[in-house]
Amino acid sequence: MKMFKVFFDIEKEELWLNEQLQKGYRCTNISSLGIYTFKKTDKRYVMRLDYQKYLPKKKFQEYKGIYEDFGWNYITHSLFGRIRYWQKEDDGQNEIFSDRQSNSHYYKRLMGYSFWLCMLMLAVAIPYMNFSELYHSGLWSMQGDLFWKAFIFETPFALLKLSPFFFSIFFGISFYKANRRYSMLKEK
Amino acid sequence: MKHHLLPLSETMHYILLALREPLHGYAVMQKIEELSNGTVILAAGTLYGAIENLSKHGWIEPVGNSGRRKIYMITAEGRTILKLEQERLEHILSLYEGSESNEDV
Repeated sequence: MKMFKVFFDIEKEELWLNEQLQKGYRCTNISSLGIYTFKKTDKRYVMRLDYQKYLPKKKFQEYKGIYEDFGWNYITHSLFGRIRYWQKEDDGQNEIFSDRQSNSHYYKRLMGYSFWLCMLMLAVAIPYMNFSELYHSGLWSMQGDLFWKAFIFETPFALLKLSPFFFSIFFGISFYKANRRYSMLKEK
Repeated sequence: MKHHLLPLSETMHYILLALREPLHGYAVMQKIEELSNGTVILAAGTLYGAIENLSKHGWIEPVGNSGRRKIYMITAEGRTILKLEQERLEHILSLYEGSESNEDV
């Protein structure tokens, strides 16, 4: 089974993946373009998404080795290589973090990640922020039917130009969420 | 100023205690399960992060390999930290005993 999905929130992605696994699937591949591949299985699997800063090859081998010793199988990493997808058979030890300190560090790393993606998208979005240029200027002088046809034709392109702006909002929201989790864990 | 890892978290404390003998990552987890009578079971990400953190501060260091696994052991600096923590905990324990004897009176 292949499914296409786009996520801006790593926790929602993890939740969705585990919902699929609970329906009796295991994940076999995730392409960076958002195509998730699943296979039917009789066993129960769980997935956990980890976020790590850039790991040089040696560091990555050590990181992967420790997770594998605990029974986790490495599926893949995300487009920029920072999100790591782990899957294992459900055996009751299904978490990758077992104390508050490491949990809060995880959210701190996530905060950095969504912050930079949000800024990056804003940097891409700002040159397009001139709303009067979203549509061709000739459009507004058209009349009746012709106007509507041209308007409908151009709208997808206008939305495309605005997409970095939307993306930056989505990443901004996940930054806010990670920040809330982080301060909750930190407070106690 | 006090080191930001002090007082040691339960995880860090157990890892330093376990690494008074050379062990690789997964064996550290097993050793801690045994030392804590099954009450502390570390997860993969927590163990990996803690090993990274403790090596960064020079409290543990890699001392060899067993296959692809790195073997770690506590350093002299790490032992100093344990000594400090021991004194801190002993002091707290002495306060426990003190308050009990007060109640007896």
